Amino acid sequence: MAQSDARPIIEVRNLRKEYPVEDETVVALERVDLSIPQGQICCIFGESGSGKSTLLNQLAGMEKPTRGGVRIGGVPVSRLDERELAAFRQKHIGFVFQSYNLLPNLTALENVAMPLMFRGVPKDQRERTARAVLKRVGLGHRLTHYPRQMSGGQQQRVGIARAFVTKPEVVFADEPTGNLDSKTKAEVMAMICSFARDFNQTIVLVTHDPQMASYADRIVTLLDGRIVSDRINQAEANRPAASSQVSCDESTIPISSPNLMPGTQSSIQSIVPTHFASQGASR
Amino acid sequence: MRFGDILRLCRQNLWRRKSRTILTVLGVIVGCCSIVLMISLGQGINEQNEKMLKSMGDLSIVTVYTSGGYGGMMMGSGASSSSASSDVKLTDESVESFRAMPGVSGVTPVMNYNYNSSVRTGAGGRYLYDYVQIMGIDMSQFDQMGFKLKDGALPMREGEVLAGEWLAYDFMDTLKNGEMRSSSRGDGCVWNDDTAQCEPDEDSYFRPVGAQLTLTTGANYQGDPYTQNLYGTGSGGGSVGGAGESQNVTADMRITGVTVSDYNKGFATSDGIVMDLKSLKELIAKVDPSAAKQRTTNYDQVLVKAQDMASVPEVESQIKALGYETSSYEDMRKSLEEQSRAIQLILGGIGAVSLLVAAIGIANTMVMSVTERTREIGIMKALGCYVRDIRVMFLTEAGAIGFLGGLIGCAISAMLSLGINIAGMSYLGGSMSSGSGGDGSGSGDSVWTMLWHAIAGGDDVTRYSVIPWWLYLFAILFATLIGLLFGFGPANKAVKIPALDAIKNSE
Repeated sequence: MAQSDARPIIEVRNLRKEYPVEDETVVALERVDLSIPQGQICCIFGESGSGKSTLLNQLAGMEKPTRGGVRIGGVPVSRLDERELAAFRQKHIGFVFQSYNLLPNLTALENVAMPLMFRGVPKDQRERTARAVLKRVGLGHRLTHYPRQMSGGQQQRVGIARAFVTKPEVVFADEPTGNLDSKTKAEVMAMICSFARDFNQTIVLVTHDPQMASYADRIVTLLDGRIVSDRINQAEANRPAASSQVSCDESTIPISSPNLMPGTQSSIQSIVPTHFASQGASR
Repeated sequence: MRFGDILRLCRQNLWRRKSRTILTVLGVIVGCCSIVLMISLGQGINEQNEKMLKSMGDLSIVTVYTSGGYGGMMMGSGASSSSASSDVKLTDESVESFRAMPGVSGVTPVMNYNYNSSVRTGAGGRYLYDYVQIMGIDMSQFDQMGFKLKDGALPMREGEVLAGEWLAYDFMDTLKNGEMRSSSRGDGCVWNDDTAQCEPDEDSYFRPVGAQLTLTTGANYQGDPYTQNLYGTGSGGGSVGGAGESQNVTADMRITGVTVSDYNKGFATSDGIVMDLKSLKELIAKVDPSAAKQRTTNYDQVLVKAQDMASVPEVESQIKALGYETSSYEDMRKSLEEQSRAIQLILGGIGAVSLLVAAIGIANTMVMSVTERTREIGIMKALGCYVRDIRVMFLTEAGAIGFLGGLIGCAISAMLSLGINIAGMSYLGGSMSSGSGGDGSGSGDSVWTMLWHAIAGGDDVTRYSVIPWWLYLFAILFATLIGLLFGFGPANKAVKIPALDAIKNSE
């Protein structure tokens, strides 16, 4: 199993999650053990229904696990109450959503500044920070636009700026590129990675898209609620440390590397290369 | 989250759903207006009641008498009585005991002179007032009792008396066939039958202050011969001039001041002679020595003045506990107050129903708003917004709707109330304003005086709708509170929305 040298920031121990469905109990996650070191971009990969979204919900404290626990930075997230969770999310967690989830009545700037507002940061101070982050995602000219006035890619860039504006230790990204076309997908992923590398942030990326998975340092594959594969993405990990700053730039990804997917999971092996070869054919 | 940010978000969210917000606020405006106007009508009734009571005289006077000796000074209605043992007497000691009671500011015995008497004044006794009422009070208690002088000064020496306010108009001119001068007696209008118009007061035959009076009285005195002849009463001038005349007593008196008329303090303050108790006792001793002892130690009535209207009931009950009977306007005031309170409650209840409807409107708006914003709330929670902040956010929105409605409602009520008053004054109180128009206010500023009277009221103004300042404050606070109260449920609903929903609803 893949393990990094850095100390783990996310630890999952023997996690189990059941849902009652009519008179039966559906087990969504079972015996999940996971340890993610700081600064890693970890992809949780799986088909729909594999339990990957459920796992993300447990990690972020959105749901309480049936058994087992989640610790982030030593904090037992699964045992916090609502208030403690809110405080914890304010300080340590960022979210990037598939459907962007921007507030429609707020401008791009206000949306990005929102997490700082929850913390009680004064208006001009938080907007200064938000402006800088928006400039970095290339939206310096769209500060006062409302979400409906922006394209999907632009909205998701606002979403990314919002997730990173508080410089959280961990960012959860749930299918961040699910609603985007392939060119924008690459831009968005590059942006997420670039932020993460700059501030040594940990990214948990949930996707069913092998192309997106290939950006990650590590790919954890779920099937029917169990981890069936956990491996370092060789294409990323083999890169020299010095160049990791730009590793997410799609131009640097060696598309035709024969070492691309040395993992044992057949599905990934079969899907990823063809997908990359076709450059943007959606799956 | 800072409250300023919450307010900003609240403003944005309310503005986002402009028409819905405006309609909800409109509901609150209507509710607030109806409650304020209804209560203001009740307040108007209150104000008129108070004016009416005030015109009746001093309301803080309690009349004390023994069960046998009701002097009939009260004007009939409002008199209350309680059964008391007949052996209690109103003596100097009882006066002292009343004076020692808490809440009492002045006490005076009242002695009514029970013998016929007539006064003459002017050159050769030309002007006559027969059957004059004479009242004796303790002059040292004059101010404490709330008696007021209209003119002149209190009597200091023997033979000095006070005249009632209209005493001078009660005299007739014996040289002109008993003609009298007319006075409006404070009503502002002397009706002239010939011209069918109001006319100002005529001058009285003499100026009361400083006038010398000659009093004629006696135990069997039947009245001045002039009146007897004039009206042909009595069994003939001879008999009066015979046995009675020898016992008649005459006394010279000088008027030093004129009292302000107050029926609650005795008829004599209006049309009689008020003199010091001691002088009156001496007069009685002269006129009827046999009865003097009994008459001068037991008083018919004692007037007790309470510090204010609020202490009247307490003073009354203390006096009743000693076995005396009392009467005051307290009962009448109380029943009027209860009546107007009942009217206010009914009117306010009608208003409250419409405010309740408005409150349901607020709740409806907030429920819809929460439902619409489920996703937003989930997002905010996922991004680390405290539950408390979300609750405050929704409560603020609901409160703001209530507050805005209350504020605008109060402004509109103020205008409507003004309109009601102006309409009432110009259509119903028209004769009143024309009557007072004579004293100098030109027609140019009458619009402004009318406006001012409609807003602030005045002594001779009837306002139908009175909004005291606290009603505005109450209405705004109440509307805000109603908003908060009815926003509480929706806000709690919002709080319960899990952050998960934001992630789940991916479309």
